[in-house]
Amino acid sequence: MADWTKRSLLRGFLGGAAVSVGLPLLDLFLDGNGQAMAATGAPIPTRFGTWFWGCGVNASRWFPSKTGHDYDLKEELKPIAPFKDKVSVFSNFNCVLDGKPNLVHWSGVMATLSGCAPLKGGVGGGSSELPTIDCLVADHMGHGARFRSLEVACTGDPAVSYSMRAGSTVNPSEVDPVNLYRRIFGSEFQDPNKAEFKPDPEIMLRRSVLSSVKEERDDLMRSLGAADRQRVDQYFTSVRQVEQQLGAMLEKPAPAEACLIPKAPPKMTLGAEWETAVATHEALAQLVVMALACNQTRVFNLALSMAGSNLRKEGEANSFHALTHEEPVDEKLGYQPKATFFMELSMSTFATMLKLMDGVKEGDGTLLDHSLVLATSESNFAKIHSVDSLPIMVAGRAGGKWKSGQHISGGGDPSSRVGLTIQQVLGMPTTTWGEGAMRATKPITEVMA
Amino acid sequence: MRKVASRLSRPGAAQRAFVIGGCAAVLLLVCGGGAIFSATARATPKDEATAGSSGFRRLNEAQYVRSIEQIFGPGIQVPGRFDPPLREDGLMAIGDGRVTVSPSGVEQYELRAREISARVLADDRRATTAPCAAGKAAAFDEACATAFFARYGRLLYRRPLSPSELGSTLGIARAAAQSSSFDKGLEAGLARLLISPNFIFRVEESEPDPAHPGGRRLTAYSLASRISFLLWDAPPDAALLDAAAAGDLYDSARLGRQVDRLMADPRFEQGVRSFFSDMLGYEQFQSLSKDQEIYPKFSSQLAKDAQEQTLRTIVSLLVVDKGDYRDLFTTKKTFMNRNLGALYKVPVDAAGMEGWAPFVFGPNDPRGGLLTLAAFLMLDPTHEGRSSPTIRGKSVREFLLCQPVPKPPPNVNFSLVQDVHNPEHRTARQRLTIHRENPACAGCHALTDPIGLSMEKYDAVGGYRTLENGAPIDATGTFDGKSYDGLIELSRLLHDSPDVPACLVQRSFEYGAGRPADDADGAWIEQANQAFAKDGYRLRALLRGMVTSPAFARAPAAKAVGERVAAR
Repeated sequence: MADWTKRSLLRGFLGGAAVSVGLPLLDLFLDGNGQAMAATGAPIPTRFGTWFWGCGVNASRWFPSKTGHDYDLKEELKPIAPFKDKVSVFSNFNCVLDGKPNLVHWSGVMATLSGCAPLKGGVGGGSSELPTIDCLVADHMGHGARFRSLEVACTGDPAVSYSMRAGSTVNPSEVDPVNLYRRIFGSEFQDPNKAEFKPDPEIMLRRSVLSSVKEERDDLMRSLGAADRQRVDQYFTSVRQVEQQLGAMLEKPAPAEACLIPKAPPKMTLGAEWETAVATHEALAQLVVMALACNQTRVFNLALSMAGSNLRKEGEANSFHALTHEEPVDEKLGYQPKATFFMELSMSTFATMLKLMDGVKEGDGTLLDHSLVLATSESNFAKIHSVDSLPIMVAGRAGGKWKSGQHISGGGDPSSRVGLTIQQVLGMPTTTWGEGAMRATKPITEVMA
Repeated sequence: MRKVASRLSRPGAAQRAFVIGGCAAVLLLVCGGGAIFSATARATPKDEATAGSSGFRRLNEAQYVRSIEQIFGPGIQVPGRFDPPLREDGLMAIGDGRVTVSPSGVEQYELRAREISARVLADDRRATTAPCAAGKAAAFDEACATAFFARYGRLLYRRPLSPSELGSTLGIARAAAQSSSFDKGLEAGLARLLISPNFIFRVEESEPDPAHPGGRRLTAYSLASRISFLLWDAPPDAALLDAAAAGDLYDSARLGRQVDRLMADPRFEQGVRSFFSDMLGYEQFQSLSKDQEIYPKFSSQLAKDAQEQTLRTIVSLLVVDKGDYRDLFTTKKTFMNRNLGALYKVPVDAAGMEGWAPFVFGPNDPRGGLLTLAAFLMLDPTHEGRSSPTIRGKSVREFLLCQPVPKPPPNVNFSLVQDVHNPEHRTARQRLTIHRENPACAGCHALTDPIGLSMEKYDAVGGYRTLENGAPIDATGTFDGKSYDGLIELSRLLHDSPDVPACLVQRSFEYGAGRPADDADGAWIEQANQAFAKDGYRLRALLRGMVTSPAFARAPAAKAVGERVAAR
């Protein structure tokens, strides 16, 4: 395990994609509490993200035995040790199906992220009954940032995304670091720390073009049936979001002291071979972290792989997903060694994300301290597609509003309670969230500061 | 199972209903909630008209690119990423009617619109695209701009622009021209048309059908798009739009002439390729990979060549030779290149070493027909290091017989199936016996495995073999109650199965209409099946009969597709 960590880090640096993080913040910009920017009086924004890995965990090697702040780290969670006081672990929070189908490799993740067990889908994706939490959070706090949210995935497939408005359309992922870089830090990027600012008339024109397209909405709505009208409406919602993105570029950006414009990443091979995917993760994660630090977005969704994970080792006949189902449990070890390799790999990769976020100094803490990152998978034990006690973590402190570093057991409650709690901590006026048996009414007060 | 299939009176249909029904019954008894749910969902279709039909279908990437090329001429780069497509009810063409565009997708369309507009009005192209010379900053040539947007608006929206659409486009152009130049104005207006959902989506509109009081039919322009996307997988050209404007598409003789024109055009071959790529699940090639150590011959180029070989075989038999669709399952005629020659271990002649050459497999060669070609055999994105008889059997059932196979129950232990070190279970057949002996699995695996197991002499990339892990491969099986040995014999049984041409009829109709066939289509489909047989299973005749039939122009009676509003 230590072996691959070194190798992937080495790859990152050799690849030239590494960004040095940890720029000391000039205290002069902070107010007395170290929380707000003296120059603008604006508080450091809170960010939200999701981090997804496929095919779950071995429960006995992953979930801590002890609850509370003093929770123990089992073998599979060891990689997060350096950040343990910033990571909360949730156990016994379930995807409650209540008569709905267990859509393999789909129900679990959508239940946690949308607050409703889905009705259609499976290992290749599906549809969602409700919008996923990142969309709700972006609606609440994504305004003013250039991108309402950024989606990235690490195995080269843009369809790998667990961010959806209700329906069948995913918010697709950027998979190529070169393209992600161009999108965020390309010619349209405005350095938030540059003194002078002049609104670009070209952008004003582009905004008027989008605005003019919206005039076609009413005619379309009149001439189409109900199911189509909903999709027309979603199309125009997307148009409006891009219009707002352009609008944000017409205003002088607030200074972001931790913002360091990264170097353009080199072209790299993409794919599901694990070393490739981990290297891609690092390159994408670095860009996402800098997009957050530079106030380009406040919300992100990162998927290491699809839920029926196709991560694989060179020369191995089966992918991670196939291994979870088909590899026999090693009698002596008590688990499936080849499948477990990928579970441990997933956690080490998550730790890389935490390291990057925690390396960016902001105010009297770090970017991670000003964020909440909901990390989860679609299964508990993927071999039998179990969706009870889904592995869920929340990293970060939401600028002090989240009491981090605890293990909390949910006693079989719906996993949507985690999402409800996140929304309330982020200041959203949500009192209940979700539908059917996944409807959550009680936040997890233990983590609320 | 879909009602339309059970309505059909062919002998095979009853049997098909029985097989699938039998499996559903097994699952109801022994499986988890998933199967029960899907069985219930199919038994009580909720508001089929609204759920099934779509008047708003997103252009796929190839259709977008082809539209730009057809409208503005070749050589314009189409940049950016497209939102991922979706397969629903067996076809991407149906999924296109269930998706919309994400915010990042709109971001990409906006970028694409600006770059395409700039290229359309670039110096090297302007003379052919713009109806007047470049003007001065101050002078806005209203007549020129109006002619420009009316011309390209009609081609992009696949119908004339309404006065308000033209007005708002001119408004943008005028504003842009004021701050910059006349050409900048044309560019901005064109970009606006390119971002419009009226271009990015195929909007289908209906009107009362004079021939059937109370019924509705597509408007002439919407029908023109249905026809051209079915036959060309591209938008209507100016001549077809003119025919729609003249009312020709509601006159059977004049419609027939348009259809003949479209089928005589080289773009018809593209249309046939697109249809079969959809029907055969070729979007899965995009993410297909095989393990390099186990299958050193596999490369992304080999995967491309395999697709091309099958598509060439299909086009040659159905379009060029005007042959019998069923012969696709048995034909020894195909095309070969250097890469595939090495995979099939056959000599390739000089033309094949350079590119593609016609090729005929020998009478004793274990190849003949679609199923024995590499594209079918390798197309399994879920197994990188071995062949999966279950997936192959499922592909035959779903892609070629239109028989959906239920999903596996969620709580299955697959370890035995995979444990290749167990001396009792060296071949896939031995390993899969375990599934067939377990009642929770048996129902569905009885549908897939016998078919897939008879393909086991072809490895996961299509190479031929007779042993697996040292044990001889048994490729016997039964299909529709008939025993056979090996893929060549199975292909012959498929050739003779009435379900094979019936599936093509159903899929091509659904592909054209963008929705699953429903009860109201049953009569037409039944008649089309008979006509298809009578015509010797010729694809051209099938498609010609389809696009000239009222069923193809029928719009759901319930306001699922609305009337064009007077305000426009």
